[in-house]
Amino acid sequence: MFDRVEAFYRPESVPEVLRLLQRSKGQARMVAGGTDLVVEGDRSVRFLIDLTRAGLTYIRSRDTTCVIGATTTLADLEESTAIHALAGGLLSRAAAACGSVQNRNLATLGGNLAHGSPAADMATPLLALDASVVVADGEGRHKMPLAEYFGRAWQNGASHALLIEVRVPMPPQNGRCGWSFQKFGRTEVDLSLVNAAAGLQLDARGRVKWARLALGAVAAAPFRALPVESLMAGREFDHSLLAEAGEEVMREVQPIADLRASEEFRRELSRVVAGRALEECAARAGCSL
Amino acid sequence: MNTTVVGKNLRKVDGFKLVTGGAAFTDDVLLPGMLYGKILPSPYAHARIKRIDTSKAKALPGVHAVLTYKDVPRVPHTTAGQAWPEPSPYDTYLLDSKVRFVGDRVAAVAAESRALAEQALRLIDVDYEVLPAVLDMEAAMDAGAPVIHDEPDSTKIFDREHNIAAHIRREIGNVDDGFREADFIFEREYRTQRQQHCMLEPHVTICWLDGDGRLMIRTSTQVPYHCRRQVAMILQIPVSRVRVIKPRIGGGFGGKQEMLLEDICSALALATRRPVKIEYTREEEFYMARSRHPQILRMKMGVKRDGTVVASHLQVLATTGAYGSHASTVQGNTGSKVLPLYRAPHLRFECDVVYTNTPVAGAFRGYGCPQGFFAQESLADEIAYKLGMDPVEFHRKNAIRLGDVDKLSAQLGEGKEGLPRVIRSCGLPECVKRGAAAIDWDRKRQSLPARAGFVKHGVGMSCTMQGSGIAGIDWAASFLKMNEDGSFFLQVGASDVGAGADTVLAQIAAETLGVSLGKIIVTSGDTDFTPFDTGAYASSTTIISGGAVKKAAEKVRAQVLGVAAKMLAVPVENLACAKDEVFTTTKPRKSVSMAEVALQALYQEKLQIMDGASHYNTDSPPPFCATFAEVAVDTQTGRVRVVHLATAVDPGVAINPMQAEGQVEGAVTQGLGFALSEELMLNHTGWPMNPNFLDYKIFSAKDMPKLTTILVETEEPLGPYGAKSVSEVPINGVAPAIANAIFHAVGVRIRKLPIRPEDMLRALYEQQPELKPEEALVTQ
Repeated sequence: MFDRVEAFYRPESVPEVLRLLQRSKGQARMVAGGTDLVVEGDRSVRFLIDLTRAGLTYIRSRDTTCVIGATTTLADLEESTAIHALAGGLLSRAAAACGSVQNRNLATLGGNLAHGSPAADMATPLLALDASVVVADGEGRHKMPLAEYFGRAWQNGASHALLIEVRVPMPPQNGRCGWSFQKFGRTEVDLSLVNAAAGLQLDARGRVKWARLALGAVAAAPFRALPVESLMAGREFDHSLLAEAGEEVMREVQPIADLRASEEFRRELSRVVAGRALEECAARAGCSL
Repeated sequence: MNTTVVGKNLRKVDGFKLVTGGAAFTDDVLLPGMLYGKILPSPYAHARIKRIDTSKAKALPGVHAVLTYKDVPRVPHTTAGQAWPEPSPYDTYLLDSKVRFVGDRVAAVAAESRALAEQALRLIDVDYEVLPAVLDMEAAMDAGAPVIHDEPDSTKIFDREHNIAAHIRREIGNVDDGFREADFIFEREYRTQRQQHCMLEPHVTICWLDGDGRLMIRTSTQVPYHCRRQVAMILQIPVSRVRVIKPRIGGGFGGKQEMLLEDICSALALATRRPVKIEYTREEEFYMARSRHPQILRMKMGVKRDGTVVASHLQVLATTGAYGSHASTVQGNTGSKVLPLYRAPHLRFECDVVYTNTPVAGAFRGYGCPQGFFAQESLADEIAYKLGMDPVEFHRKNAIRLGDVDKLSAQLGEGKEGLPRVIRSCGLPECVKRGAAAIDWDRKRQSLPARAGFVKHGVGMSCTMQGSGIAGIDWAASFLKMNEDGSFFLQVGASDVGAGADTVLAQIAAETLGVSLGKIIVTSGDTDFTPFDTGAYASSTTIISGGAVKKAAEKVRAQVLGVAAKMLAVPVENLACAKDEVFTTTKPRKSVSMAEVALQALYQEKLQIMDGASHYNTDSPPPFCATFAEVAVDTQTGRVRVVHLATAVDPGVAINPMQAEGQVEGAVTQGLGFALSEELMLNHTGWPMNPNFLDYKIFSAKDMPKLTTILVETEEPLGPYGAKSVSEVPINGVAPAIANAIFHAVGVRIRKLPIRPEDMLRALYEQQPELKPEEALVTQ
C-alpha cells in the first residue's frame, strides 16, 4: 500500500512537524488516525508524519470557547463531558454518527476536516456552531473561520499547513435552544449522501429568534445555508415554515450524481434531512410539531 | 435421540488455534525464497492481444518469470470445482490471446516483492485489438452481437454463435393444460443483481516444488480434490505429481468452489522453481474472482379460486459473464429447487444462460435459489394478497409435504438427468408456525401499517428449500485409526471452510465410537493424506462426508469391540461403548477403557485398529426454511430498515446446534445484503465501479436487525444421526420476505434487487400504492 514510504516520523512538537513538512517538499503526508489516508493508498507518498504525539490531543473548555486539539479522536468527542455540555451534545452526536467504533477510535477531528471531503460529518455541526480553526505554517499561526478554511487551497492534507485546533464559541445558554445533527447514508456505516446540522432558538411565543443550518455532501464543500437561516428568523415555527425552508434548501444545494445516488435523490434528501434537523432542534427547544 | 456428543453445543475443534492467531490460514506461512505472483488484468471488456512484449518486465531485476499465452499449454477447461466430468463448458484457458472481460488474465509475473511484481506488470507492453463488447445480457443473443467464444477448441457450449453457454427446458405434467385449469393466472418479471461473496479471506494460493519435485499447492479452496485433478490436467502433469493442501479457510460461500489461482500460481512455481504466492487484493476479489449470476426471471403461476396452485412456469435469462463456470448447474437449481416447493402437477422451467463481457459468475451460497425464490415467493405473496388469503395459509395449502415426490428434480440433475426427490422429513409446517409466532405475525398483519407517521412498518414471509448434497454425484470417504491412549485419528477429504465441518465430523465419529470429542483428532482436506471427497459445496458435507465418517466409525467400533470381547471374555453382541470405555450390556457389568483396548490391540494382538468407508446418497433431502421479516420503510428517504428477521430452519438433526445457528445467522446476513444493498456495478465499458467496501455495501453490525433463529429439528433417514443441511437454505428467503413486508407496509411491490433507498423512494413516487385486496384479479 505504501510501498514507497521511506520514513515514518513521529514528531513530538508542532515546530518539529512544520520543519519536517518543509523539508519533505510536498512528498510527505500527515497522518493521524489514518482512516482516510490508508484507504486512499497514495503510492507517491515518500514520508509519513505522525501527528498523534505532537501534543494536539486535548479538549479545553473555557468560559466563552471550547478548544479542541486537532488529533482529538472522534471517540474522545463522543465521550467527553465538556463536549456533551456544548450545544446539547451536538458534536458528540455527530461524532457518534461517523463510521464504526473502530473508525472512531482512530479518526481525529483534524483529519476529518483537513481531508477536505465535502461529506465530512464533523464539518456541518462546527459550521453551525460558528467554529474557527487555528492553522500553523512556516510564517506562524493563523486563526480563521472554518468556512474560510474550507475555501483555502491548503485544506488538502498534503499542504505545508498544519491544522492545530478548532475553537468553538459557547452558544447562548439562555432561552429555548435546540441543536441537531442528521445524516443519511446508503447503510448505517457510510459516507453521508447528505448531512445537516442545525440550531434554533425560539422565543416565548414559539417564534424563531435565530436559526442556523449547515449542509454537507451536497456541494463542493460543507456550507451554511444563510438564506434559509434568514428566511426563518422572526417567523413562527410551524409546518409551513418548514416547507418553505425545505424549498429554499433544494435551491441552495448543488449535489453531484454518481454511483452512490442521483442528483435528484440527493436534492430530495437535502430537503428531508435539513427538515428533520430543524424539526429536532425545535423539539429540543420545546416545540414539537 | 439419546446422544452424548451429537446434538451438543461443543466448541469448534480448531477454535483455539483460530482465536489465538496461530498459523492456521494459507497465508500464515512464509517459505524461504518465496516470490509474489501477480496477474495482469485486461483493461478491455473484449479484445484480442495483437502483440505482447514482456522483455522489459523480464529485464527488471528481481523478476523471475513473466508468462503469457505463448508460454503455457492451451487446455480448454472449466474452473468450476465440480465432479468429473464437469457439466460446465470447457471454455477457459490458463492464458489466452483473447480477453473477454475487464479483469481477464493477460499475463502473470513472479517477482521478489509485491511492489516489483506490480512494477513488472506495468512494463508489459500489450497491443490490443479492441473488439465490440456485449455487457447487457438481454442483447447477448441478438443477431450480430459479438461472439465471445469464437475459439474453435472450446467444448460443451450450447450455442456459441449466440453466446448461449447453457440452455435448459424441463416440464412436468403439461403446463399449458395446467394454465387452462387455473381460475387466475399471474405473471411478473423480477431482476436480480451481481452479488459478490466478500469472504473475509480473499483467494490465496502458495505453490512450490518439494524435495522430490512434486508440486505442492497450499490453497484456500473448498474443493482440494477437484483442484488437484484440474491443475494436473491444465498443466499436463500426472495427478500423482500434485498435492493440494487445504489449511484453515476464512470463508468461501461458493467462491472457492473454483480452481481460480491454483493453475497460474503452479505455472509460475514450475517456471521459477521457487515458491510463489498469489493473493487477490480485495479489489481483485470483486471483479477477478466470481459472483452470483444476475438473472431476469419471468414467473407465471396459475391458481384455483381457493388458492391451489395448479401450474408454474419460470423463464430465466441469466448471465454467466465471460466464462461458463457453473452456468448450467446454478441455473438448473433455480428451477429444480424452487418450483417444486409448491405441489402443482404442472411445472415448466426454461432458461438461457448467456455469455457477456462481464466478470465471471459462479457458485454462491444458495446456488441459483435466492434468485428463483425471490421471484416465486414474491409472486406467491402477490397472489395470496389478490385472493384475500393470508400468505401463511397460501403456503400451508400448497407447500410440499412429507411423503411427496418431487419429479422435477428427476429431470434436472447436475447438468444431466437427476434422481427423483422423496420427502422423508419435513419440518416446514412447524417452521412456518414458529417463525410466525416469533414475529407476532397474526397481530402485526392486522395492526400494521399504522396510519400516522412517515415510517411505515410491515411484515412479510417466505418459504424456501434447498438440497443436501448432489444426489448420485457427491460422495466422500473417511478413514479412522486408533492410538494408544484411546484417541482416534480421523482423516477426511472434506473441506472445513470455516463453517465447522471438522467439528461436526468429529462429533459424528465420537458419538459412534463412544468417546469424547477431544479423543478425535481431525486431518482434513489434504490430497496426500486424506481420502477422496468431492468437496464443501451443495450443502453436502454434514450429510455426505458425515455419512462416510459414521460408516468408518461403525467399522472401527466393530474392531474395538472385537478386541474388548476377548479381553472381557464376553460375546461381542453383549458389548457397547460410551464415555471412552467398552462395557458389557449384561450383568455383571465389566468394562475396559478405550486406552486399554488400544494397548491390547497394538502391543498384544499386533493389530492397528483402523478402517475407512465411502458414502454417497441417491437422494438430496431438502432442508426447509420459513423466513419472517418486519421492516420499517421511511417514506421520505426510501430507507428500508429491517427491524426483526426471524428464520426457522429444518436442518434435520443439528449435529452442533450452536454452529447451525451460526450458519443461519451468516446466511441471513448475506441475504440482507442481497435484498437491500449489495451490487457490483459496471460502467458502460465493463469496468467495475465499486470494487471496494466503501461503495459495495455489505451489512455491518450497525445495519443488522434483531435476529431470531429457530431450529426445527426433524429426523432425516438418509442423514447421519438424522442430519440434513443448514448452510445455504436460510439465504433464500430473506429478499422475498423483505419485499413482501415492504408491500405490507406501503403497498408497493419491488421486483428488482437490491432495494436501495433511492430505488424504494422512486417506487413510492412512481407506483400507485395498492392497498385494497378486492382489486380486480388478472384473469385469462
